[in-house]
This record gives sequence, C-alpha cells and structure tokens, in this order.
Amino acid sequence: MLQFVIAGLVVGGIYALASSGLVITFVSAGVLNFAFGSIAYAVARTYFWLHIQRHWALVPSVFLCMFVLGPAIGALLFLVLFRHLTLSPTLVKVVITIGLSVAIPPIVILLFGDMQIALAPGIAPQPVHIFHVLGSSISMDQLLVYISVVAILGIGFIVLRFTTTGLGVRAMVDSPAMTSLSGGNPFRISLAVWMVSTFLAGVCGMLLAPIIGLSAQAFTGLIAAAFAAVVAARLRNLGVAIAVSFAIGIAGSVLQYWLPPASTLTTAVLPSVPFVFIVVFLIYHIVRAGKVSEGDGVGGPLDRAIIPLGGARLAASAEAGGGGVDPRISRWAPILGFAFVFILPTLLHPFWVGLMAEAVAVALFMLSYTLVTGEGGMLWLSQITFAGISALVAAQLATRHGWPVLLAVLVSSLLVAVLGILLGLLTLRLGDVYVALVTLTAGLLVEGLVFTRPIFLQQGVGVVINRPQFANTDKAFVYLGLVVVVLVSLLIVNIRRSTAGLALNAVRWSETGARTLGISVVQMKLLVAGIAAFVAGLGGAFMAMQTKVALGDNFSVYLGFVFLTVLVTVGVRSCFAAVVAGLSFVMLPQLLEEWLSPKFVQFAPILFGIGAIQLARHPNGVMVEQMHDTGRKLTAFLRRLSGHGPGQAEVAEQPEQPDQPATVAS
Amino acid sequence: MSEPGAPERLARAAESGDVVLAGRSISVRFGGLAALEDVDIEVPSGTIVGLVGPNGAGKTTLFGVLSGLLRPAAGRVELMGADVTNRSPQARARMGMARTFQHLELFHDLTVRQHVVLAYRVRHAYKRLWSDLIDLRGWRRPPAEEDERVDGLVSLLGLEGVAQIPVAALPLGTTRRVEVARALAASTAVLLLDEPSSGLDTRETEQLAQVLRTVVETEGVGILLVEHDVGMVLGLSSMVTVLDFGRCIAVGTPDEIRVDEHVRAAYLGDAGATNGSAA
Repeated sequence: MLQFVIAGLVVGGIYALASSGLVITFVSAGVLNFAFGSIAYAVARTYFWLHIQRHWALVPSVFLCMFVLGPAIGALLFLVLFRHLTLSPTLVKVVITIGLSVAIPPIVILLFGDMQIALAPGIAPQPVHIFHVLGSSISMDQLLVYISVVAILGIGFIVLRFTTTGLGVRAMVDSPAMTSLSGGNPFRISLAVWMVSTFLAGVCGMLLAPIIGLSAQAFTGLIAAAFAAVVAARLRNLGVAIAVSFAIGIAGSVLQYWLPPASTLTTAVLPSVPFVFIVVFLIYHIVRAGKVSEGDGVGGPLDRAIIPLGGARLAASAEAGGGGVDPRISRWAPILGFAFVFILPTLLHPFWVGLMAEAVAVALFMLSYTLVTGEGGMLWLSQITFAGISALVAAQLATRHGWPVLLAVLVSSLLVAVLGILLGLLTLRLGDVYVALVTLTAGLLVEGLVFTRPIFLQQGVGVVINRPQFANTDKAFVYLGLVVVVLVSLLIVNIRRSTAGLALNAVRWSETGARTLGISVVQMKLLVAGIAAFVAGLGGAFMAMQTKVALGDNFSVYLGFVFLTVLVTVGVRSCFAAVVAGLSFVMLPQLLEEWLSPKFVQFAPILFGIGAIQLARHPNGVMVEQMHDTGRKLTAFLRRLSGHGPGQAEVAEQPEQPDQPATVAS
Repeated sequence: MSEPGAPERLARAAESGDVVLAGRSISVRFGGLAALEDVDIEVPSGTIVGLVGPNGAGKTTLFGVLSGLLRPAAGRVELMGADVTNRSPQARARMGMARTFQHLELFHDLTVRQHVVLAYRVRHAYKRLWSDLIDLRGWRRPPAEEDERVDGLVSLLGLEGVAQIPVAALPLGTTRRVEVARALAASTAVLLLDEPSSGLDTRETEQLAQVLRTVVETEGVGILLVEHDVGMVLGLSSMVTVLDFGRCIAVGTPDEIRVDEHVRAAYLGDAGATNGSAA
C-alpha cells in the first residue's frame, strides 16, 4: 500500500506543478493554456534528443531544457502572441491555445523525427538508484520529483507572499487595469508569469516522461488531471489546485492497489478519476454558488469596463462579418461553392475522389462545430467523442445485428443526440471555459473507458461497417455524403432564419438579457447541443463507413482539436467553410506530400494550428473573411457598373427578409 | 416634470387594484449583510415610479428581486396581482414584465429590428420558437400585425434610420432606446429601467426622458425607474421611493421627496440636511 501512496505522491506532485502553471497563467493573463501538455512534450522530447540521441551530459541537458528552453517558449508565446490578446474574449484565447497544442507536436516531430519512445529517461543519473524506506522502494527519479515539487512550490509561495514581484502578481490577479494605473508593469509581470508557467510545463514533461513515455497524446492525460484540479480550484485558488492534484494522484495510485492488476476494469477505471473529481467539485460549487463561471471574481470594475463589448463570444457580429456585401452575392456565393464541390468528383482522378470521400465525411462532422460553436457560442470539445460513439454503435447495429446501415446510422446519431442533451444538462450552469473543460474531460473519459472495451476494440482492428450498397464506390459515397452535408446545411440555415435562430443568437450574446425577455436559455442550449451531437453522430458514422471500420482510436480527443483548429481557420459560422475545412484537412497533407516531400506532411497540422492562432485577428475565419472582402469589392464594382456611388447607404439595400442577418457565411 | 394629478391617479390605481407590480415586505441577505429590510414598493399602470438612493442602498438588489434574478429571503413579489415570488425571470417576462440593464444586455449580432421582432414573438408567438424549425415560417414574410407592431415601436422610439443595423455598431444612447423598444415589444405591463441614463450626455438623457414620457402616454405601461440622476427621476416620476442601507426611508411625490429630511440626510449627511442644501 505504501508503495502505491509513494507512487501517487509522485504523480500528484507533477499534477500539482501542472495545475499551478495553469492557474497562474489564467489568473494573471486570463489564458487557460490547453497547450500546456504540448509544451511539456516539446521540452521533454528536446531533453531526450539532447541527452539520449546527441549524448549530451545529464546536467547541461537538464539545465538547458528546464531553465532555458521552457521559459524561452513562454517568453516567445507571450511576446509574439498573448500580449496582443489581453482584451480578447476568453474563448478566443482558449481556441488559440488549442491551435498551439495542435501546432507544437508536429513542429517537434519535424525537428527531432517521428520516433516511438515508450521508455524515456528522467532527470536522475542512469542507472537509476533505488532507495529502500520503511520497506518500500523509492527510485532516484521519484525522489527528484519530491525535491522538485517541494522546492518549486516553496519558492513560488515565498515569491508570491514576501516579494515585490509577488505583490505585483497578486495585484494583477485582482485588477490588471488598476495595477497598470498604479504604476505597476503588467507587461513585465505577464512575461514573467508566462516564463514561469512554461518552465513548470517543461519540468512536468521531464518528470513525467519516465512514467508515461514520450508521445504528444499521452500528455493529454496530464492535462485532464491538471484541469480537474483547476476546476476544483475554480480556476483561481492555487492552494486548492495543489491539494486536489495530490489527491488525484494518490486516488489513481491507490485504486490500482485495490483493483485487480492488468485487468480491463483497472485500465477502464483509472482514466475516470479526473472526471469524477471534476463532477464532484462542480456539483459542490453549483450547490454553493448556483452557477460556476470563469468570470466570477475576476478583476475590478475598471477591468470589467474595458472588457470588449460582447464578452466571451467567439465569432464577430454580422456587421463585422458580412456587412457591406450585396445580398445577392451573399446568397449565391455558397451555392456556387457547393455546386463546384458537386462537380469535383467528375473531374478528379479516382485516387483524389477516394480522398474526397473522407473529406466529405469530415465536413459533415465539422458542421457539428458550426452548430454548437458557431451558432451556440459554446466550445464543446467532446464532439469527436460523440462521433466515435455513433460510429461504434452504428457498426454494432449494422454488422452484428444486421440492420440496414443507413437506419443504423440514423439510430446511432439519435442516441448520440440524447447523450448531447444529457451532457448539455450537466453543463447548463457552467461558464464557457468550464464547459470546454468538462466536455474535454468527458471526451477523454469515454476514450479511455468506452472506446477500449473489447466489444468495440476487437483486438485493435475495430468493427466492420459497410457502406450502403448504392454508395459502395468512392464517387457514389462522395455524392451520398454531399447530399447529407447539404441537408444538414439547410437545417442550419433554417435554424438561423427561424425564431429559434434569433433566440439562439440572443442567448449567445447575453443569457441574462435573453432570460428577462422570456426566452428559456435551457431550451435553447439543449436544442443546439442535441442537434450538434446528432450531426456529430452522422459525421462519425460516415467517417467510419468511409474507412469501412469503426475504431475508437480514429476518434481521439486530440483529433477533435485538429478538426476544430481547421474549422476555425476557415470559418466556424459558415456551412460551406465546413466543406472547405474537410477538404483542407484531407487534401492538404496529400498535396504537400505530392508536390514537396513526405516530410512536409507535418506542415499541414502546423498550418492549421497557426490558422487557429489567427482567430483573434480573423474571428470569422480566414477564408470567410477573405470571401467577405471579395464580396465587398464585387459589390462596389457592381454598384459602379449600375451607376450607384460607393457612398450608397448599405442599410437601404437589405435582403427581402429583414428579420435575418445577411452574411456570406450562410 | 411630474404628471398633474399623479398622486391621485396612483391612489385610484392602487384602490382599484390597478397596481401592476408590487414588492411586499422584501428582505434580502447576502451572508450576514442585510441588503434589503422589509421594503415595500408599488408600480401602478400608466405611471412612472422612481427608485433612488445612494450607492449601496439596495436599488439594484430590489430590481433583481422584482425581475426574478434574485430570490428574497422574505416577502413576496406580485405581478398583475399574482404571486410570482418563485417564478423564473422568463416566466415573469411572459406575464408582462420587462427590464433593461445598467450594463447593456443586448444581442450584438442582431439588428435593432430583430431585437424587437424576437421580443414580440416570445410574447405573442412563443410556439414559433419551435414550430419555425418544422414549418419553415422563417422563410416567409411575417404576419402583418407583427410588422405593424414592430415598425410602430421602431418608429415610436425613433429608430427607423438604424433598424437594419446590428446593435454592436450603434452608439450608447441609441442602444438604450433599443432596450426600451425591445422591452415594449413584449406587450409589457410593467417596465423596469435600471440606470437608463448611465453613460449618456445631457442631450441624450433629455431625449430618453422624452421617449419615456411618450411611452407611458401611448402604451400605458407602468415604469419603475432606478436612476442615479435624481433630477431626471424627480422630473419624470409620479411617485418616488427612496432607499438607504437597504431600508425604505421615504415614499412620496417628487415635491415631498425634495423636502424630506431623511432623504436629504441620506444624500448629503446630517450636516447637509441641517444647512438646508437639498438634493
């Protein structure tokens, strides 16, 4: 038992460092860093490269990675990116860090190669010395974790409590605006906080590598546990975050003591520990305060006064988007775009038509983000999990129970819609960032708990799911997929034009305003959550039909991150953008490989990640804003042709239905 | 300027049961702090009732209780004679209560007209929130009565020129009027205005005051007005309730409030009241 507690303290200590890094970045810079795990991975992989692959001595390798590279990444991120985002909405910052989490691993792979590393060294000299204390073994690596955690947390406490720098950081937490007006320097404080945070990420990566190996995906486990502690701490209380981190580490370890070793139950239960902690603490916070929001207690009146109008929303207003574009252009541009995509399979080589089949399935899935994030303004990171559940259920129904495959797809999608509504009910009283955290953790939970069940896994080959007979060829499947994409797009456009669309928009911008108007926020949120989950289910089933196999591994939360970054890069509120995003996701790596070299395949996710980082500058997506610009130029050109001056009031030329916003994004 | 004969109207309205909104013996506590203690307030239809008090007096808390965003520790809220103390804000809204906010709670993607349309449909065609998704009515022209009411309100509030513009692009003074238009679109019986002149210059404040007078005359709604600008409240209201430290210290006509010793003491301190430098 003691052995398990010792191991739990090691893991808990690492989680404590991670949660500390996340909390200090959130409270002082307003950024919940979803890229924390990727940064940890980058530093740990660099350490492996220096120490093992380049045979550098231990001390310089550790020093360079821990004290130079980690803080340097933080300084770079702050100077290049986050210092320009101080007043950006919280969700924009979250999506940008998700973009970073997607871009960083392929950069590391480009630099150091795509090597599978199951066993990575820690920061202890090799061979690792083992101590025996009270009948239990403690390795030098474990001892160094204890020393690191105690030293870092101790120094952090002293700095925060007893130094001028610490006072500055605490002042920033209370009110960045007042700190600035009082002569403090938020720039320097934020820079220091970012450097400390990424230093902690680096330390976590180097300490965790010997325990979980070196892969970017493995580090998402670190994020899940650290996020659970951060939720317990309501994003702000460092002491609670550290205490809960240790509790999660010990709970996970002690469970291994009680559960049968190497059993499927054990491997299934362990990933659920962070989720259980999140649920317990959220219930506690909701019972205590009624609602949990990331905005609670943040900043003073001055800070609230300078928060940009619109608070935490992702996409810009219609005025900032499609304003100034002739309604006819707005109406016809996406129709022409869809028409072009319909013609493509007749023009392309069968190889590319095969890729297009995958692209259309991905586009269908991405429409779920268009709904839940674009229309609903909620960042749900579990959409890919809904897709996976739907694919697995549809495969079971179609292949094992002999259902017609399209009926199986429909039923599995409806089942997923119910799950979406249930998760929506769980997250109703949560702020935007909490919703992102809970849905992410729920996704990771299902990934570990459900997708790994033998009935779905089938020894790693998954369950067969055939395409419908009439769509067995790639070309026919592309057209089937496109028809469903068009139907879902029409559904989304219909929602936008309906009273429910107006109400959804109202809820997206101001829940309080909507509620006092008589709109049920609960109904609106559940409506969009249910439909979005249904669409994700359709997308997942189509993705499985395209590969003819349903396998949980193809629906990882990390892949969901990539899909999200691609979509926000292109345009999160446009149905046609979802199609372009699907095509980009599938075609771009292939084009890079064909035109340049196989090594350049890694550039695609880097480009997508960088695209998501552009969200602050292009809230409607790069492609959609480009289309708006082109639309405006075309509008001006048409007006000149028809003799109208450029100063013609745009208000006078609105669509026939004045109750609906005019936007190319439709 | 208060309306002539307003106290008599108020008295008649109260006697005839024409009080559209009432708070009876409202108490609210935040932990150990008593934010409101046994406060009573009534808003008759077709009347503007002012609610004033120094910072921390409990005005916004009382507003929250009346609109359903806060639950009182004791007391009850009556809307059109019905006890709505435990009803949600949206339920109260559907019964005819609307409110505006000191910090605007508008929907930035929606145009001015869409705000009014949405409020109208929530009150008069709530089923459309769901039925539009099936019967595709969103693609058809709206009913004539909806257009008539919406355009009438847009015109009443002087918003014709900006009706098709998303509110995010409008100046503060205009968006205050959008909030009022939106509130009225729901066939409101009582309108709660929270610091409507906040952030407005003198000209915009006067325009807003004129709009409110017109609204009361033409729509017959009861208005509860919370405002820091005491001059505006005394000029507009028929009756004024004054809060201080969570207690009701005075109720009366603007003229009565102007000379009330307790009110002067609350605003200016005892010395100010003694010296006669009234608010």
